[in-house]
Amino acid sequence: MSKDNGSSVAYKIFSLVVLIVLAFLFIFPLYWIITGMFKPPAAINSPVPQWFPKEFTMRNITELFSRRTAPLFGEIALRVPGAVRWMINTVFMAVMAMILTCITAAMAGYALAKKRFIGRALLFSLIVAAMALPKQVILVPLVREISSLGLYDNIWAVILPTVGWPFGVFLMKQFSEGIPGEMMEAARIDGASEFRTFTSVVVPMIKPGIGALAIFTFINSWNDYFMQLIMLTSNSNLTISLGIATMQAENSTDFGLIMAGAALAAVPIILVFLLFQKYFTKGITMGAVKG
Amino acid sequence: MKKVLSIALALLLVLGLTAVAKPASADAEEITLWTYPIGNWGNEETVKALTDAFTAETGIKVKVEYLTYADGDDKVNTALTAKKGPDLLMEGPERLVSNWGANGYMVNIADLFDDQDKAEINAAALAACFADDATAYEYPLCMTAHCMAVNLNALKEAGAEQYVNAETHTWTTEQFFAAVNALAAKYGLVGGIYCSGQGGDQGTRALVNNLYGGTFTNAEHTAYTWDDPKNIQALKALYDLEGIEYDPSINGGEEIANFYNGIFKMAFCWNIAQQLNPNSAGTGAGKTANGDDILFMAFPSEDGNANLQGGIWGFGIVNNGDDAKIAAAKKFIQYMADSEHTYDAVRASNFFAARTAVAGNALDVWSDNEIMAEYTKLMPFLGDYYQVTKGWAPARTAWWNMLQQVGASDGSEAAIGSAVSTYCGQANDGAK
Amino acid sequence: MSPELRRRETIAGYLFLLPSLIFFIGFVVVPMVMCVVTSFFDANMDLNTPDKFIWFNNYIELWKDPVFLKALKNTFIIVVVSVPFTCIFSLWVASAIYKMREGLLSFFRIVFYLPVVTGSVAVTVVWKWMYNNYYGIFNYVLKNTGIISKNINWLGNPQYALWCIILILLTTSVGQPIVLYVSALSNVDNSLVEASEVDGANNLQVFWRIKWPQIMPTTLYILIITTINSFQCFALIQLLTSGGPNYATETVMYYIYYSAFKLYRFGYGNAMGVILAIFIGILSAIQFRLAREK
Repeated sequence: MSKDNGSSVAYKIFSLVVLIVLAFLFIFPLYWIITGMFKPPAAINSPVPQWFPKEFTMRNITELFSRRTAPLFGEIALRVPGAVRWMINTVFMAVMAMILTCITAAMAGYALAKKRFIGRALLFSLIVAAMALPKQVILVPLVREISSLGLYDNIWAVILPTVGWPFGVFLMKQFSEGIPGEMMEAARIDGASEFRTFTSVVVPMIKPGIGALAIFTFINSWNDYFMQLIMLTSNSNLTISLGIATMQAENSTDFGLIMAGAALAAVPIILVFLLFQKYFTKGITMGAVKG
Repeated sequence: MKKVLSIALALLLVLGLTAVAKPASADAEEITLWTYPIGNWGNEETVKALTDAFTAETGIKVKVEYLTYADGDDKVNTALTAKKGPDLLMEGPERLVSNWGANGYMVNIADLFDDQDKAEINAAALAACFADDATAYEYPLCMTAHCMAVNLNALKEAGAEQYVNAETHTWTTEQFFAAVNALAAKYGLVGGIYCSGQGGDQGTRALVNNLYGGTFTNAEHTAYTWDDPKNIQALKALYDLEGIEYDPSINGGEEIANFYNGIFKMAFCWNIAQQLNPNSAGTGAGKTANGDDILFMAFPSEDGNANLQGGIWGFGIVNNGDDAKIAAAKKFIQYMADSEHTYDAVRASNFFAARTAVAGNALDVWSDNEIMAEYTKLMPFLGDYYQVTKGWAPARTAWWNMLQQVGASDGSEAAIGSAVSTYCGQANDGAK
Repeated sequence: MSPELRRRETIAGYLFLLPSLIFFIGFVVVPMVMCVVTSFFDANMDLNTPDKFIWFNNYIELWKDPVFLKALKNTFIIVVVSVPFTCIFSLWVASAIYKMREGLLSFFRIVFYLPVVTGSVAVTVVWKWMYNNYYGIFNYVLKNTGIISKNINWLGNPQYALWCIILILLTTSVGQPIVLYVSALSNVDNSLVEASEVDGANNLQVFWRIKWPQIMPTTLYILIITTINSFQCFALIQLLTSGGPNYATETVMYYIYYSAFKLYRFGYGNAMGVILAIFIGILSAIQFRLAREK
């Protein structure tokens, strides 16, 4: 028994050490972004890296905000640095994608879980099959379709296909499975309409799921890249991800500037994540375990 | 009920924003220009001054988007696929004429060239802008010869100064190899055959072609001939050369940055705009980031007489089916490239004017600039402008993929030869 | 169920589905159908030559195209390496941390989730710098610790490039599985664990006999999301290597983009898309069948 304990303590120490090393490695890229943002070009391009900036420079941040201007919103005359407009676009895009996805997915997920209708199984398999589809598959048709809708180079060209991606529906179906049938039956007997049953009985029950889906969609569309790459071109319509990608295409070795951009993209979303972390964790686990 | 209302409200909001966010369909009072970073035509402040002056005179607003060589082609291709291209594109004939022009996306602007223009514009530039006698897809503004550069201080340190002729800016293949060997002995790394993408491929093409006198296309520009044994010899020589490495992790722009930062002692992606650029550290024109002197050089060839790759830049009009916009775009072209304002437009590019005079008045843009005057020594070496060969875009893709394969091979003549013939074959498939 | 009720349910069901279906059909199904149709045409960017119907020629050419075959192989390698590795890695991390104090537990959970939320572009650009041949931190550290003697051109060497991409992909895909496993492991019925410990089972036996079957549904779910995730590594490839060097990191996803916008071959790219969709369809069908059986 004592031998067993000894080896288990040793294993615990060993695993803790490994975990700490791993944690360091996982945090390091973020650390490198944040510190890189304050390093002058000479330190950035030196074969001997500075683990911590020897002198802090604001040059990269100033540079980031002194690049190509864009109107603050729409086509108005007030012009701001491009990065500010990218930020506004990104927030708008992520919020809209989030709202639309949550509404449509909650309704559809409920229907798929609780309604017994013709074609349900077929639809569900279609959705599941589409979930794993990489968006590159429909690249050219989608560009053509969006352009015939007159939405090319418009932030909506990114939002609408994001809402169409069926992962949300799948997630909400998993959540809705857990709603007891009796509760809906009771509402129906009380004379509530289908829609009213949904809003007053179903929605409150799947709220944690909606919350998880909301954060999930927000983070994903904030960080998405491909859809933005093929749909947006003008400087004033770029998102922050695409903006940094463009910047790195143009100044590919000015890593200080690129790190400043990367920090601008990453820090807000990390804060959102930290803020909602508990809710998020609960949401994704609930969705999965019921599956 | 409140919830129904709030959902309805949310939907309304969404729909409302869709309506607002839709781009107001611009009338011919506004045209869009997409420009590649051609000297300071990639700089917002400079371009804004030029377009503001144009707007003040004509009342036509110009919305400018700045492309990069790394992702610009993809952007234009996507936009053209979506039928949402710009009204005006600023680039060279290899894209405007032989790619988008040949594929039917550009407007024929042959009517912009009258006999006087044809007399005043450099003959090579003029020829490159015309797809055939009656069809032009580009109006040239500026031009240069692409060359390479050497870090002069490093060269002196390595005791290899005697291999370059700083007076004529020329050298032979033998002198080039000797210089690289000396630099490699001193510093290890000398330079890189960049090939992560097509950015700056004119440099690698010119280097390989010049070393032993190979060609890239035939004289009629109907087929790719880079499977020439002389090119294979050159690729092998570069493979074997200590200090020079095939580097598929960088493109031309990154090579230049490495050269400025002192990591490379030679750059193959060079031209006068780079020579004039005071670089990111602000050490001044013709200097690296730590102040070393940069010597621009013609590409080495066996007899020292290089065939340099030309760069010709100008404007083309994308056919968006709107006559008013096409007319406005033509006005823009005439204003920038065929009027007294051409002086400013050329100056902004950091390149030489593509014409010697405008409407009979001699055009003298750079006589006040010593570096420019010195650089004109290279202009006589301007070689064949073969970038108008059919299937150019897939051909340059084949070129950098070939360099990657050569770099990854064992360096034997057979391996290099097979890489060359595979990709040259691909390029020729596209030229049919 | 009475026909009347069935009718009512069907109508209600479709009304609830309607908003979602508009988006799903409009932006997934319709383009997919167009993709299949175009794959039978020699469609390109040239406006002067109309698209030509060429039957299965695009598909036939695909199987003769060494680049496509390489892309297929690389895609396969990425999935086959990253999926099991992600599962094992996250299961190990989860089992090492799930009994920890709440504060410590959420610290580790957040740390492993960080690369996921940092965003693919931000992650990619910082790794690009770290991998840099000339002034990247990897070469510096490995050279100074004597592990390598000469700089390795990580992304420029066909031998390493794909593995460099996979490494980044791994760091961005273990976050969610760890969260899931932690929760699954803490939900394992403790009385069963104790009972088998009384029977003298050692840790490993307890794990395989008691815990593993109980976390099986989670494992399957993780397999599915990780597979989906491995197919989404477009940004990494496009921004780091553009499929190079010498097609060493070419994936089918990137080759579709490359065919369309670098080679101007829309029909060919679409045929590739169809093949990829079929492969993925089969893969997810298998996984879901497995999931249902459990």
